[in-house]
Amino acid sequence: MATAVFMPKLSMTMETGTVIQWFKQEGDLVREGDVLLEVLTDKINIEVESYSTGTLLKIYYGPDQVVPVNQVIGYVGEASEVVPDIAPSAEPHSSTEATEVQNEQKENHETRERESVGQKIRATPVARRIAKDNEIDLSLVNGTGPNGRVQKVDIEQAVAARSAKPISTQPETTTEPRSRKVKVEGMRKVIAERMAVSANTAPHVTLSTEADMSQVMEVRSTLLPTIEKMTGHRLSYTEIIMKAVATALSRHPKVNASLKDDVIELHETINVGLAVAVTDGLLVPVIKQADRKGLADLTTETKRVAGLARDGRLLPDDMRGGTFTISNLGMYAIDVFTPIINQPESAILGVGRIHEKPVGVNGQIVLRPMMSLSLSFDHRVMDGAPAAAFLQEIKELLESPYHLLA
Amino acid sequence: MSTPRELTYLEAVRECMSQEMRVNEDVFIMGEDIGLYGGAFGVTRGMLEEFGKERVRNTPISEAAIAGAAVGAAMTGMRPIVELQFSDFITIATDQIVNQAAKNRYMFGGKGKVPLVLRTPSGSGTGAAAQHSQSLEAWMAHIPGLKVIQPSTAYDAKGLLKAAIDDDNPVIFYEHKLLYRTKGHVPEESYSLPIGKADIKRAGTDVTIVATAIMVHKALQAAVELEKEGISVEIIDPRTLVPLDIETIVESVKKTGRVVVVHEAVKRGGFGGEIASLIAESEAFDYLDAPIKRLGGKSVPIPYNPVLEKAAIPQEQDIIQAVKDTVFRR
Repeated sequence: MATAVFMPKLSMTMETGTVIQWFKQEGDLVREGDVLLEVLTDKINIEVESYSTGTLLKIYYGPDQVVPVNQVIGYVGEASEVVPDIAPSAEPHSSTEATEVQNEQKENHETRERESVGQKIRATPVARRIAKDNEIDLSLVNGTGPNGRVQKVDIEQAVAARSAKPISTQPETTTEPRSRKVKVEGMRKVIAERMAVSANTAPHVTLSTEADMSQVMEVRSTLLPTIEKMTGHRLSYTEIIMKAVATALSRHPKVNASLKDDVIELHETINVGLAVAVTDGLLVPVIKQADRKGLADLTTETKRVAGLARDGRLLPDDMRGGTFTISNLGMYAIDVFTPIINQPESAILGVGRIHEKPVGVNGQIVLRPMMSLSLSFDHRVMDGAPAAAFLQEIKELLESPYHLLA
Repeated sequence: MSTPRELTYLEAVRECMSQEMRVNEDVFIMGEDIGLYGGAFGVTRGMLEEFGKERVRNTPISEAAIAGAAVGAAMTGMRPIVELQFSDFITIATDQIVNQAAKNRYMFGGKGKVPLVLRTPSGSGTGAAAQHSQSLEAWMAHIPGLKVIQPSTAYDAKGLLKAAIDDDNPVIFYEHKLLYRTKGHVPEESYSLPIGKADIKRAGTDVTIVATAIMVHKALQAAVELEKEGISVEIIDPRTLVPLDIETIVESVKKTGRVVVVHEAVKRGGFGGEIASLIAESEAFDYLDAPIKRLGGKSVPIPYNPVLEKAAIPQEQDIIQAVKDTVFRR
C-alpha cells in the first residue's frame, strides 16, 4: 500500500511550494519521521518528514520545481509496488492508495465526484431513472420523501427548474441559497394581479376589534343537532359569522358598495364571498343573498361551494357578484391580520381564531373565548367612523347572536 | 334496453356448474352434503333434483377420500368438480392434491390428464373461527402443477369456473364466503374467462392496488374515499394467482409508480410477497417512486370474537392508510 507524499500546506496563504532538495533517493528505505525533503514556501524553508515507513518509490519533482499544495510529489511503499509514472493531478481528497490512484486516472472527474457523494443519496428507482435520462446530479436535488428520499416529483421539479435556468456547474462552491422557480401563471397570476391592483389603488385602512364568542358557542351547540338533521352538515362558526356580517351589511348599506370611476354603487343585494384556500391558491365562492338565508341554508350553501372550490369544480357563476368578502383564518393560530380588499368590493372582514383570553367583566378578570375581527375598508368609499360602526355592529351581533334569529 | 341480469356470486357458480353438466356428460360434482342439503353454503342447492345422485354425489366425511377419488376419476376421463366445505380442510386432502393431482400429468409423461376442479370457500368474516376462516391460497400457489383461481365477482366466478372445468389440469378454485351473497351482472349464456388474465377493476393514475377476492371490494371502497382527497387509485384484480398475469400489474405500476398489494391471507409468506417480488424484478422497478407496500392478515389464527376477527385482516381504513403512506409527499 503505497502512501503518497504531498506538497504540504504550511500557511493559510500558501498555494505553491518549491522543492529545495530531497534527503532520500528513489529506492531508499525511509522510516516514519525521517526527513524526506526540504521545501521553500513564500516565507520559510521547512523540512518535510515521512508519515510512513517503507521504500521511497518515486520522486516526481526535483530541486527548484514549483508545486501546488496537496500535489502528490512522491510515493512511499513496498519495493515491489507499482506507482504512476507521472504525478497525479492535485486533488485534495484523492486517495492515498497507489492502486486506487491508478484507477482514478482512468476515470473522468465527473464520475469521481458523483461517487464521492453518491452513497448517501436516497432516491426512488424512478427518480434515479429520470435523473439519469436528464443528466441531473441527484446529490443536487432536495428530496421531499421520507428521510429526504428523492422522489419523482423532486426530479421533475429539478428538470423544470433547469429548463427555466441552467443549473450551475459548480453549485457546491457557490454560496447562493438553493431555490427552484415556479412560473406565476393561472390562478396565481390572477391573484397576484388583483391583489396588487387592490393594494395599489384602494387606500386600505384596517380596523380591528375582538368579539366575545361565548354566546355564539352556545347558539352553535344548541342548533348543531337540528341543523345537522336538516342539512346533513355541521353548523360551523363560519355560517354564524356570515349571518352576522350579512345582517350588519343590511344595516350599513354604505359598506355594501363598489366604486366605479366617479360613482359609488350601493348594492341592494348582499352577496357574501368566502375566501377558500385551495391547492396553490385561493378561491372566493359567493353566497348569494346571504342576508335572506337562515343558518341552515347558509350551512348547506357554504358547504356546497367550499366543497366545489376544493374539488376545483366551481362554476363562474358561483364566484360572480360578490359585494363583501370574509376571509377566515380562524383555523390557524392567527389573531389579527390585514386582509386586502377583493375588488371591486369596498371592504373585507378578516376573522382570527377563537381562543380564551382574560378579559375584564364588571371589575373581574375572567376567561372568555375571544375572536378578533379585522376590517379592511377602502378609504375612498367610506371613512373611519362608518366603517367602525359597521364593525361594531358585527361585534355586537356576535356577542348577542340571538338577535340574528329575529 | 333491458337491464343487465344480476345474480349472486353463489348463483353464478351454481349456474356455471349446471350449464356445464347439461352439455357435458363427463362433468359431475361431489362433496360432503352437496346433495339434498345443497352444500355447506347452499351452492349446489337444487342440483340433485335436476342431475340425480349419480352426478351429484354425496361423499363420506373424508377429504382425503374425496380428493383421491376425484383424482382417479379425472385420470380416467371424467371431469369432477369437488366441493370442500371449508378451504381449511385442504390440509386433510393435501397428499392427494399436492402429491397426486399436481404431479400425475408430469410423472406419466403427459399420458394422463387431471381435469379436476376443487371448489372451496375460504376467508373470514362469518364468525367461523380459526379452523374455518383461513386464506391458504399461497400454499397451493406454491405447488407446481396446480392452477389457483380467486374470483372476486359473480361475473368472474362464472366465467373462470367454466375455464377451470374445461382445463385439463387440476384447478383450486377459492370462493370467498362473504362474496357468496354479493350480486353482479352475469350473462345467462355460458362463457369462459381466460385463466391467467388479470382484470383492471378501476382505472387510476397515482397508485396501483393489487387486491384479491374480498379485498378487491374493500379496495374499491377505499378508492372512493381516496379520490375525495385527490388520490387516484387503480385497482388490479389478478383473479388467477397461477398462472399470474404479471404483465397487467407491471404495466399499471409503470403508469402509477406506486403499489400496494393487499390480501386477506396472513402477510408473512403470503402471495403478496410473490407479487411484490415480481414487480421489483420487472421493468417496473425503474418506475417505482415508493417502496412496494404489502397489506395482509395479522400473524394470528382468525379469532372467533367478531371484533378481533375484523381486526385480524385488512379493512378499508388500513388500505386508505397504506395508500397514503405510499403516496407520501412531504
